[in-house]
Amino acid sequence: MLIEQAAYANRWRPVSPAAKGLFAANALIAAFAASTPSTAAIIAAVLMTVTVLGAGIALLSYLRVSAPALLFLALGCLSLAFSIDVGNGGPVLQLAPTGWHKLAEVGARSLGALAALLFLILTTPLIDLIALLRRLKTPELLLEIMVLCYRMLFVFSVAIDETLTAQSARLGYASPRLAMRSLGELAANLTLQVWQRAHALHVAAQARNNDGPLRFIEPVFPHARRDCCIAALAGSSLIALALVLR
Amino acid sequence: MSAPLLELSQVSYRYPDGSVGLKDCSLAIQRGSRNVLIGANGSGKTTLFQHCNALLRPQSGAVRYAGSAVDYRRAGLHELRSKVGMVFQNPDRQLFSASVQEDVSFGPLNLGLDMATVRQRVAGALQAVGMQAQADKAVHNLSFGQKKRVCIAGVLAMEPELLILDEPMAGLDYAMQTDLLTVLDGLHERGITLLVATHDIDFAYRWAERIHLMADGRCTASLNAQELGDHSQALADIGLPQPEVISLYRGLLARGLLPAVPAGPAPRCAASLLAMLAATNHPKESPCKIA
Ligand SMILES: Nc1ncnc2c1ncn2[C@@H]1O[C@H](COP(=O)(O)OP(=O)(O)OP(=O)(O)O)[C@@H](O)[C@H]1O
Ligand SMILES: [Mg+2]
Repeated sequence: MLIEQAAYANRWRPVSPAAKGLFAANALIAAFAASTPSTAAIIAAVLMTVTVLGAGIALLSYLRVSAPALLFLALGCLSLAFSIDVGNGGPVLQLAPTGWHKLAEVGARSLGALAALLFLILTTPLIDLIALLRRLKTPELLLEIMVLCYRMLFVFSVAIDETLTAQSARLGYASPRLAMRSLGELAANLTLQVWQRAHALHVAAQARNNDGPLRFIEPVFPHARRDCCIAALAGSSLIALALVLR
Repeated sequence: MSAPLLELSQVSYRYPDGSVGLKDCSLAIQRGSRNVLIGANGSGKTTLFQHCNALLRPQSGAVRYAGSAVDYRRAGLHELRSKVGMVFQNPDRQLFSASVQEDVSFGPLNLGLDMATVRQRVAGALQAVGMQAQADKAVHNLSFGQKKRVCIAGVLAMEPELLILDEPMAGLDYAMQTDLLTVLDGLHERGITLLVATHDIDFAYRWAERIHLMADGRCTASLNAQELGDHSQALADIGLPQPEVISLYRGLLARGLLPAVPAGPAPRCAASLLAMLAATNHPKESPCKIA
């Protein structure tokens, strides 16, 4: 939900999502093109600065959003750093031969890629991203699933919240035994709700004369062309930076 | 009187679990009129509405639109649903796109209109319900009342001939209710036929031209709102009281505070009752007259 809030409240919300997508794509390329770990790290730092200072995302929320991914990255790096040698007399944990260099390279590149993606999702609401994907001719079915899942996510988080509150209000979680029981009922109730909601949405679509693909209009961004030019410039200078720094 | 715009004759519908939705229900809606459907919880209002839009198909009886029986094949359904718009009771069951603007555009695009027309209609519909400022917002970030307005806009954008609203006032604050009434009056002036479900008899009496009473899956009576005062028994039969204004008006008449031979029709809201009272000379007034 933090991502959601940032995406709606940031300073670059009115910027065309195509431009932001372009910049993020360029940044991804730059992160992979970076020849040394330190270059990739610099790119990651630049992207982070742009996101925090440029788009005005609070540093704290930036860190909180990136924390799980960073943890995951750290675990991955650790497993790369060590290898288990099962040669003579039982498994031995040892530092992998290609160890540090490989580690720094992969770690820094991933960091750069992560920063590029964070830039995109923290500045662009999913609704804009979906509209962008639609313009890029993503298969209709995939988009419809995305739209429905996204909407249902919120409908369900409300449903879970309400059911939990209603259960707690009547002491449903007063003891471990009761809690188990209530949780079971919650799950059963939600299953039923999923089914009912899906049916209700189908009926609602029919009521508005739908008989096939779900179609929506695309939002208009007044300065899309200008935004894209700026994004292309900024993006290519990132790539240039990645190639020049050695 | 010409043939009704929408007519249900002896429609019955039983849900798969055996509960009765409608039972021999007959109802006629005249073109261009303001109608209210009033009845207790579970009396079948929502079920009836779903028949109007062919979301449910009667198990017996018939639904006629503009004089001809509804055609339940694909083309017929498309035709009917582009003329009959329905706003659902629960907005979360109607809205399924992520953003306000997208959701409102859903209906018009289904009608096969081109992009430019759709944009125009979306803007117009959002304007009509006063939500143009929120056009780019995500649906889940709206308040209940705002969601309701988006639902209405989503149907308005299809420019239906008959607009059906299932308890549109429930959950709205006073200002939103007043606004919604203004919207509805505007639609009525444009010639759109309105059918509204409600539990509020005072609102029904004040606003509607025809009031349809429902109980146990049947329409028990269809009355001209103006004559509601003469049908207190029909109201009592389905457990509803007289509108307060009627009781008040009768009380004032009985005490001689209003002329026994009324100048115009009975008042239908507090304001017109007050106006009537103000226009009357009261001979027995001012007890402290100086002799
Ligand atoms: N999906 C369903 N499955 C089974 N029974 C249903 C279903 N929907 C409604 N019913 C039953 O049909 C009857 C009429 O319900 P309906 O929803 O039409 O009432 P309503 O007048 O709209 O009530 P409310 O004022 O509460 O909205 C009720 O007895 C209800 O229990
Ligand atoms: Mg209902």
